[in-house]
Amino acid sequence: MGDHPAEAGTVNARGRRLLVAFLAAGAVALLAYALQRLGLNPLSLLEAGLLAMTPLALAAVGECLNEKAGVVNIGLEGILLISAITGVWAAEIFGNGVAGLMGGLVTGAVIGLVLGLVSVYGRADQIIAGMGLNIFALGFGPFLLISLWAFPGIHLFPEELMVPRLRTPLGGVSPVTIAAVAVAVLAHLLLHRTVLGFRILAVGEKPEAVDVAGVRVDRLRLLTSTLGGALCGAGGAFLPLAWFGGVVKEISAGRGFIALACVVFAGLEPLLALGAAFLFGFAEGFSYAVAVTPGVKERIPFYFVSMVPYVTTLVVVALVIGQRRFPRTVGRPYVRE
Amino acid sequence: MHAQPHIEMRGIHKVYADGTVALRGVDFRLQPGEIVGLLGENGAGKTTLMKILSGLLRPTRGELVVGGRPLQFRNPDEALRAGIGMVHQTFALVPPYTALQNIVLGQEGAALLGPLQVQAARQRVSQLLTQTGLAVPLDVPVESLPIGVQQRVEILKVLYRGTSVLILDEPTSALTPTEVGDLFDFLRRLRAGGTTIVFITHKLREVLDISNRIVVLRAGQVAGEVPAEAASAEDLAELMVGRKIVPRVSRAARPAGAPVLTVRGLHVLNDQGGVAVRGLDFEVRAGEVFGIAGVEGNGQSELVQALTGLRPPAGGELVLNGTRVQHLHPLALYRRGVCHIPEDKARFGLALNFDLAENAILSRQAEPVFLRAMGRLNWTRILAYARQLVERFNVIAPGIRAVVRSLSGGNQQRLLVGRELSKQPVLVVAMHPTRGLDIASTVYIRELLVQMRDQGKGVLLVSADLDEILELSDRIAVMYEGAFIGTGTAEEFSREEIGLMMGGVLPQGRR
Amino acid sequence: MNGRFRIPRPLVESLATIGVGLVAGGLLMLVFGNNPLRAYRALFVGAFGSLEDVLETLAFATPLMLTGLTFAVGVRAGLFNIGAEGQMYLGAVGATFIAGTFALPPLVHVAAATLVAMLCGALWALPPALLKIWRGVHEVISTIMCNWIAFHLSTYLVIYFLTGAGRADSTRPALPTARYPVLFAESTLTAVVFVAVAFCLAVYLYLWGTRAGYELRLAGENPEAARYAGVHAGRAMLLSFGIGGLAAGLAGASQIIGRPPAWSLYATLGNVTTLGFDGIGVALVGRSHPLGGILAAFLFGALAHGGRFMEYHAGVLSELVRAINGLIVLTLAVPELWAITRRRLGR
Repeated sequence: MGDHPAEAGTVNARGRRLLVAFLAAGAVALLAYALQRLGLNPLSLLEAGLLAMTPLALAAVGECLNEKAGVVNIGLEGILLISAITGVWAAEIFGNGVAGLMGGLVTGAVIGLVLGLVSVYGRADQIIAGMGLNIFALGFGPFLLISLWAFPGIHLFPEELMVPRLRTPLGGVSPVTIAAVAVAVLAHLLLHRTVLGFRILAVGEKPEAVDVAGVRVDRLRLLTSTLGGALCGAGGAFLPLAWFGGVVKEISAGRGFIALACVVFAGLEPLLALGAAFLFGFAEGFSYAVAVTPGVKERIPFYFVSMVPYVTTLVVVALVIGQRRFPRTVGRPYVRE
Repeated sequence: MHAQPHIEMRGIHKVYADGTVALRGVDFRLQPGEIVGLLGENGAGKTTLMKILSGLLRPTRGELVVGGRPLQFRNPDEALRAGIGMVHQTFALVPPYTALQNIVLGQEGAALLGPLQVQAARQRVSQLLTQTGLAVPLDVPVESLPIGVQQRVEILKVLYRGTSVLILDEPTSALTPTEVGDLFDFLRRLRAGGTTIVFITHKLREVLDISNRIVVLRAGQVAGEVPAEAASAEDLAELMVGRKIVPRVSRAARPAGAPVLTVRGLHVLNDQGGVAVRGLDFEVRAGEVFGIAGVEGNGQSELVQALTGLRPPAGGELVLNGTRVQHLHPLALYRRGVCHIPEDKARFGLALNFDLAENAILSRQAEPVFLRAMGRLNWTRILAYARQLVERFNVIAPGIRAVVRSLSGGNQQRLLVGRELSKQPVLVVAMHPTRGLDIASTVYIRELLVQMRDQGKGVLLVSADLDEILELSDRIAVMYEGAFIGTGTAEEFSREEIGLMMGGVLPQGRR
Repeated sequence: MNGRFRIPRPLVESLATIGVGLVAGGLLMLVFGNNPLRAYRALFVGAFGSLEDVLETLAFATPLMLTGLTFAVGVRAGLFNIGAEGQMYLGAVGATFIAGTFALPPLVHVAAATLVAMLCGALWALPPALLKIWRGVHEVISTIMCNWIAFHLSTYLVIYFLTGAGRADSTRPALPTARYPVLFAESTLTAVVFVAVAFCLAVYLYLWGTRAGYELRLAGENPEAARYAGVHAGRAMLLSFGIGGLAAGLAGASQIIGRPPAWSLYATLGNVTTLGFDGIGVALVGRSHPLGGILAAFLFGALAHGGRFMEYHAGVLSELVRAINGLIVLTLAVPELWAITRRRLGR
């Protein structure tokens, strides 16, 4: 069916961004080749990159929907941390990893809903509220770790509980990764091809118009907030259950904020956010691979390698930020009177 | 179309959450097929009353009876289903969406998770266009449509829902006189078809022109109700304000002096990089008011910003008393005797959460008289000066340390104007200086501007209020699409001619 | 209003949110099978039970009033500067370096270490400031990235250059000439608290008493009016980030040369981490005012110090105090709460 003419004006900008993304992907492929010459295995890099991409993509796509509706959630970091822990707990209770992922998803949805209620009905300053959530998680995370498993540092769980990876020609790919890509596509279709998406885009630009047309602004925003939280929660549970095999209180390591950078880079478009997540994920995977390569690991201390994801994010955001078109009311509560 | 109900609002009270009392027991009734003018000053409660009728607000007390049945609207949707729709002062249109999308929003006629049925929607909307005789391009983003056309989209949005009661809130503020005429013709056609119309305004001339009946609100109560044929502007003004007031300012003719400001070939770009001001040439002389009339959005903002150092011109020259100043910073301009009464006091001229003293030195904080050694502020002097301002300009406030947000609009503007005039300027640049103010403050500030002129200063007045321009200006120019379409003395032009020029039409026999 | 003593509204609001946070924390404790009353009693006793405890609370409050100032000065300029963490780490590293490496006369040594720490903090505030001014990068993202980079960088510097002889888990302790004098034998409070309070006072006088301070606040309050008033937006932002960095650097120094018995920086950076984020709550409760921040820091310091006691005596993990901190911030984000609270307390 017809395109939204609202996008007509931005087709050029989107085309340009897609081009940049493709060029970046091409540069990455070139890099992979160069690395192979250096003794690094590009396939294992890809595998690591896809794993690192997954939580970023899930959180970023969810937040894209949220910000399109005009709500900002910078508490993604906190949701990742708490859902990682509750996800493992759910996995242990129900005895399998998928249940754990569901547990993380539900945790994220609940937190997203609470933030949504606070933002919409409480007319909260959304950035402060999100920061409050992050600080809360900084304390509640370790508290949960001790309360659940009586050991403050790290909790390892039996390997049977992990979500197994699928064997593909590209290496071991987690089904959650595939799900993340599917989610990004679905989110794009939802936003640009359905009535619901039509209304979500409208409410981010001019909630008055939506209100006057008889559509509930608060319900739309609660929906996106909950959905965004759920996706982020799934991403959080992914970290221990489908990747690391254990949970520590630093497991989120700033990923929530890198996801925000993805959202900014993508101009709130889910497919571009997926691309950004891949870019940052690959940078992270790259840093791990480099760290253990003989010849490199003696010369570059691991600390500098650890900085790579953050420096990459800074550089990308600084270069690409330019003219980003955000919905007019992002972060501002809608008051009818 | 719905059956025409007889509508009654009885004993409506509205108290906002912060304690403001907007309405104190208002009775309001509507008959089918009439145009009712709802008149009052800013803050009288007209918009609040109609927001209650259209379901956007709920009354604290009182009841609403439609067609004999008492109803309660919990949201605008329910009011629309009862046939009551409102077109707001600031349009509730989604800017990047087209007219078609805006009209159809909320009434898409498709499942929530299903695709948007564009063709079906287009058919229905085209039918509506033919029915009402309003022409609107359906596939252009509304943000690029002229304001008059945007308003038509707003009206269509409401009519699409099948309304029998149409409420319009200050619909003519951004229209040229010709567009106002078109709108009024359309409203009369609607009335003939049986629609009831409520026309909210503060403009006496218009309300007398269009209404069958006029209801005047003052401070949340009905001050009076008159049939339009029997009313006069003076009577209405008295009802609006509660006492006899002479709404006009008088001005004695005087010869103008040497040019204070000379503008040559001024080109200014807007934020999008387009041309907002094309090669303007004009002068403002000492002891005169030079008024620039025109509908908003024709480059006036950019012109004023260029004159006050807020937007560097792309080309041309500005000469102030012999010095070239087009590249200067605002503070340097203030030092040279320019003062600026900005178009939106809350946005540009005041810090609402700061107190009166801190606002009194806003844009004067770099002056040596207010500073001590090492950049420290001289609070003793600042407080004394602020008290002087408050006294001289009759600013009603709880104290010097009161937050400016707590002042009424009129008092805020008095503080701002007082501050600007205390800069001892040679050139006063004033844009929309009385917009949104109560009548008393409006008259006071207009008198101040005339005083400045009488004291030999040059006053550049930019306003979309034609009456204001005609009252105060010695010479007038009409701005249209970045250039002056006509310049001359105030006596040379008739109101109708200026109206045509505001719409871009050059009257016969003019250059 | 009529001469009777009326508690100022902002104070009431701040206290109300702390109350809400404590109640919510208590509910959390209940959910996990702890006794909130016992826990809070232990908390209160731990924070204020004896003179030593009050002094210790002050010692905990010292870095908090400074990291709170970082965030508060940001808010005043319209910025969301959450970079106190990273700026503090580097300040601590700077202080450790000067304090442990050189031999200088006592007063000079303390002053040098303090000033270098502040400078390091201010320098680390530069990248996000410049990115914001030149490229419009939102400071939430840039400061967090810089925090993480600083974490790894500081750990690297500590482990590779600053560790003491034979100990890999912390740096060389500060030389005696570089240490702030301890005020009372039984607590960890040193004279650095005076420096911290003096700095907060100085910033207050600067923001409300000078032209540059006025312009900074105006830029945060109404950027368009600030332009109209001839204020240079970039300069105001730079000033805000700079003051914030100085404050955070001083906070870092306070934990090294101002805190016995370690007088050194842990290799895990454990004695400086999370203090930056805690400062956000301090700033908000203190209404983003330098002096209000001092009072709020005292309260949060009580929570921190009392929290340890609570853990020891009531078995409730002290990390919960940070969770309560977060809930307080969350509550503060909601303006409607004022309207409700105000109505309940009468006007």
